[in-house]
Amino acid sequence: MRRLSIVLAAVGLVAAACGPTTGGPAASSSTAASAAPVRGGTFILALWQEPVTLAPHYRNQTAANVAARVVTEGLARTDTDGNYVPWLAKQIPTTTNGGVKLTSDGKMDVNWELQPGLKWSDGDPVTSADIKFTWQVWMKDPNTISRTGFDQIESIDTPNDTTAVVHYKAIYAPYPLNFSDGLLPKHVLENVPDIGKHDYNRKPIGTGPFKITEFVAGDHITGERNPNYRIAGKPYLDKIIFKSVPSREVAVAQLKAGEINGMWNLLEAQTPDLEKLTDIKMVITPSPSVERIEMNTAKNQDMTDPSSTHPVLGDINVRRALIYATPKQSVIDKLLFGKAKPGTSPVSQGWASPKSLTQESYDPAKAKQLLDQAGWVPGSDGIRSKGGARASLSITTTTGDQTRERVEQILIEEFKNIGVELKIQNQPSSVLLSGSWSAGDPRKRGSFDLVMYASSPGIDPHSVVFQRYYSKNIPSSANGGNGQNYTRFKNADADKAIEEAGATLDLEKRKTAYATALKLLNDAAVINWMYERAGIDATRVNVVGWQGNVWDNITWNTEDWYLKPS
Amino acid sequence: MGTYITRRLLQAIPLLLGISVVSFAILKAVPGGPLAAYESNPNVTDEDLRRLEHTFGLDQPLPVQYLGWLSKFLVGDWGYSFVSHQPVLGLIGERLPNTVTLMGTVFLTVLVLAIPIGVLTAVKQYSWFDHLVTGATFAFLSTPTFWLGLLLIIAFGLQLKLFPLGGMATLGMPFDPIDRLRHLILPVATIALVQLGSHVRYLRASMLETITQDYMRTARAKGLSERSLVVRHALKNAAIPLVTVVALDLPELFVGALVTEQIFGWPGMGRLFWDSATRSDYPVLMGILAVSSALIVFANLLADVVYGYLDPRIRFS
Amino acid sequence: MAGQAVALRAPSAERAVERGQWQMAFERFRMHRPAIAGVIVLGTLALLSAAAPIVSPYGPEKNNLLLIYEGPSLSHPMGTDSLGRDLATRILYGGRVSLSIGLLAVTVAITVGTVVGTVAGFYGRWIDSALMRFVDMMYSFPRLFLLILFGVFFKGMSLPVIVTVLGLLSWMTTSRLVRASFLSLKNREFVEAARCIGARDRRIIIRHILPNSIAPIIVAATLGIAGAIIAESTLSFLGLGIQPPTPSWGNMLKDAPAEMNIAPWTAIFPGLAIFLAVVSINFIGDGLRDALDPHHVVRRA
Repeated sequence: MRRLSIVLAAVGLVAAACGPTTGGPAASSSTAASAAPVRGGTFILALWQEPVTLAPHYRNQTAANVAARVVTEGLARTDTDGNYVPWLAKQIPTTTNGGVKLTSDGKMDVNWELQPGLKWSDGDPVTSADIKFTWQVWMKDPNTISRTGFDQIESIDTPNDTTAVVHYKAIYAPYPLNFSDGLLPKHVLENVPDIGKHDYNRKPIGTGPFKITEFVAGDHITGERNPNYRIAGKPYLDKIIFKSVPSREVAVAQLKAGEINGMWNLLEAQTPDLEKLTDIKMVITPSPSVERIEMNTAKNQDMTDPSSTHPVLGDINVRRALIYATPKQSVIDKLLFGKAKPGTSPVSQGWASPKSLTQESYDPAKAKQLLDQAGWVPGSDGIRSKGGARASLSITTTTGDQTRERVEQILIEEFKNIGVELKIQNQPSSVLLSGSWSAGDPRKRGSFDLVMYASSPGIDPHSVVFQRYYSKNIPSSANGGNGQNYTRFKNADADKAIEEAGATLDLEKRKTAYATALKLLNDAAVINWMYERAGIDATRVNVVGWQGNVWDNITWNTEDWYLKPS
Repeated sequence: MGTYITRRLLQAIPLLLGISVVSFAILKAVPGGPLAAYESNPNVTDEDLRRLEHTFGLDQPLPVQYLGWLSKFLVGDWGYSFVSHQPVLGLIGERLPNTVTLMGTVFLTVLVLAIPIGVLTAVKQYSWFDHLVTGATFAFLSTPTFWLGLLLIIAFGLQLKLFPLGGMATLGMPFDPIDRLRHLILPVATIALVQLGSHVRYLRASMLETITQDYMRTARAKGLSERSLVVRHALKNAAIPLVTVVALDLPELFVGALVTEQIFGWPGMGRLFWDSATRSDYPVLMGILAVSSALIVFANLLADVVYGYLDPRIRFS
Repeated sequence: MAGQAVALRAPSAERAVERGQWQMAFERFRMHRPAIAGVIVLGTLALLSAAAPIVSPYGPEKNNLLLIYEGPSLSHPMGTDSLGRDLATRILYGGRVSLSIGLLAVTVAITVGTVVGTVAGFYGRWIDSALMRFVDMMYSFPRLFLLILFGVFFKGMSLPVIVTVLGLLSWMTTSRLVRASFLSLKNREFVEAARCIGARDRRIIIRHILPNSIAPIIVAATLGIAGAIIAESTLSFLGLGIQPPTPSWGNMLKDAPAEMNIAPWTAIFPGLAIFLAVVSINFIGDGLRDALDPHHVVRRA
């Protein structure tokens, strides 16, 4: 128990960096400090993806999060440095400040205090009953996307209007962000049997700087200044409009023409064109998303037996040779215009990221040497084989993804050069990424050689590391297809480290344990970490306050945005 | 005629049922499914996925899923989108006006232009005008719609900056008919130019056929002016087949123009279908497929009935 | 006895007349200038595509990351694409794919359509009405929607799949044409006569009736090729057709919306290839119609 207190104190330290605030998050005020902000105006932000629902528990699109972020707010957030900061709450509850209590039966109570005087955009007060109601809806609505965290809650007490005591069934480390997607207004939704049919689905009532006044499907969403916003004088903008555009290219053209003020999510290929312009600026934000090529160590067949061995990729020398033969830096320079970094691990950002981890860099000579030594002999067509196994592999990624398809074509040439044949066998994302055993996700079923896709952990990486690299999470018919360990990576030491990380709440210990597990993962050379892609957004130069946040959407601080007269 | 229509309508019932079974089977044969959208969400666990699979009814046997869909569909409950959780009927309802605006404008433009052009090319057969139009119609008929759209965007949007690149209206402005019109021009032109080609060719051919008929010669012999000859007699008869063609085009008012809507970011039915297809949003797809095939069936019936009505030589039996 | 003699002579007489008709049709076709121009353009395109490895010094999938998005020049007459590949070379190799898809898809359509039309027209009764209801159903599907679903279904389509799917979605017109000629011919004297002398169904169908429906089928087939090429390019443009790195005229345009600003040639040349091929085919089809069916009834293209 004493150990746990230290652990939570560590969490407290992280949170204390920002301290309790009453006027609003401290982190957001720095950018707007230089000159007197201009009040008024309409900001048009282009989204090339069309948000279909803004309800916090239904949202699953980044574009929807970008739009909804100006309305729905939660108790806490992550700031630009990766620290937890209170948002609607007075402070992040920790053991040090008495907000978190560990009960004798191994459970945990978290005491959230709301800021005083909070109002929903319709004028009704925000109370602790809304916190409880949020949890209830999340658990009750069958369409909720993810119940992660909420399913760890046993009950919630509301001793007074501003206090909610959340009783967790067990110790749950990521509790600070449990209520971060957005509180649901009890007074609006209490008697609504189906939120899908309710106006709230598209025009949620929130506490953010804007309220949605118009939702024209496929065209635009309008947010107007929330008169009941808690910070006096903010937001500066009168209106923010999210405009659906058919493609990023149209958004760029409209940005150049000044028809829109900003756009979300550019492609790297579009940056050289925009860098030349003086009236447009780009904001590049690292993202936790890591593009990888996973290699199947078991036989490539439907419902593969995890203990079988892949005739080619079963040999670690081949896997290492393939990593050596991957010109990550030229891919980044030529296809991503230098706007990405070579990957080294699945956890690229945040406190848990093992920054010292490395992976074999481009060296085709080394690759050939490895294959020669391992007894892979080139045949008449230049393709190697060993003991009747021909070094011919397939690579699978999502169809229609420009960058990935180009990477594939580069790899075909590079691998051919070291005597490995590569064939493209792409699948639509609805199949490749379905994540469902019954729907036939080839990664789950093991019917692939190489698979290229991207994945990103949350700021607490445990669920991702556990799901993807723990040996019991190899999907098979025996376990009903559970887990996401697609390479069929098995390592007892890595298992032990992952178990350790899950059993403690000591951030330092957890960090070390993850580093150990991920090092072992790299030693086994089962995953080729391609690149860490950055989020690229762009605005006109007269936009002030627009600031990237690794762990949040670009619209996380719209209350600070304003337009300088140009 | 009444019994004919009744019989055709009765025949339409098994036809539409067959179509819905086949559509459903094709949809379900598509591997993968709506759950793929959750891959990039680190919070979604396998448990969440299994729960959603159950909520959507994807864990039930296919015949049960189909009968469940059909029985509800027939009483007007078209189900809910797997993605937005909105009622399918509502999603279709809000896209329909946009598609009708786009395709309706195309429809009128094509009719208004096709009739005089078609008549003139026929009357002035082998003139320079006829050759020009014939060449142009061949050219447009041979251009893939998506490429024509891209060329128009490059030329009039990106280079000349005459028209907006997409969308239905300039945002942040009150309703302005001129602005709406400017947004309509490029997508309408893309579809209309291709359609105009086929309609003009059609009308020209049937005009030529009519003009050489005996009764035209008789009328000419009676001293009728060439103008009234063309308008009163030839066009009237030549238009009969055109009417049926137009009737057969009617479903497009609903189905829309998927590729064009895609290129110009027009929030119509075509884009709804495309988005739903890429997200495996089965309820929305079934709704759109059912309505569009029903419309095609009824447009066929309408074309036949109108044809019979206008052309007394045809007897329904 | 005399009747039988006439009957025996009738089919060959028919064929003699027919041979004369083909001769005349060919003469008429030769006079159709746009059609001849179409033959020349399409022929050149097809020959160059077939001879692509000889004509072009580059490989269709050869990357050159140092030469990305080069504008048209002497060494790359149509410029290079996003991976520095020679666009002209890819258009020639793409022509192999796109043109074969057009041809093969129509072959599938004609085969299925002829079989269905023959069975329906020759045997009549319930077989006919069942098959025609099926044709009605196939006509009632929104075709592009189905193509998109198939595209998603087959994970982007390989050449055999796209040929089959396009063929199976476009045989209906042929079947109606064939059926119509069966209905009008099967009670004609020469068929009756052939039946009288004991010719079997197969012989009657193949020797006597089908040859008479060839003209409209040829015209429909030609125009069908144009339709199939456009359909393939649209599907590949949407990312559901032929998958890269294999070039097809459609999938070369897939990235065009993204590139038309920085490298407009990548959007223009592949489209131009489609356009030239399709317009040539349409002219040829027009010429064939005028040649084979001088009094043709207006039919919808």
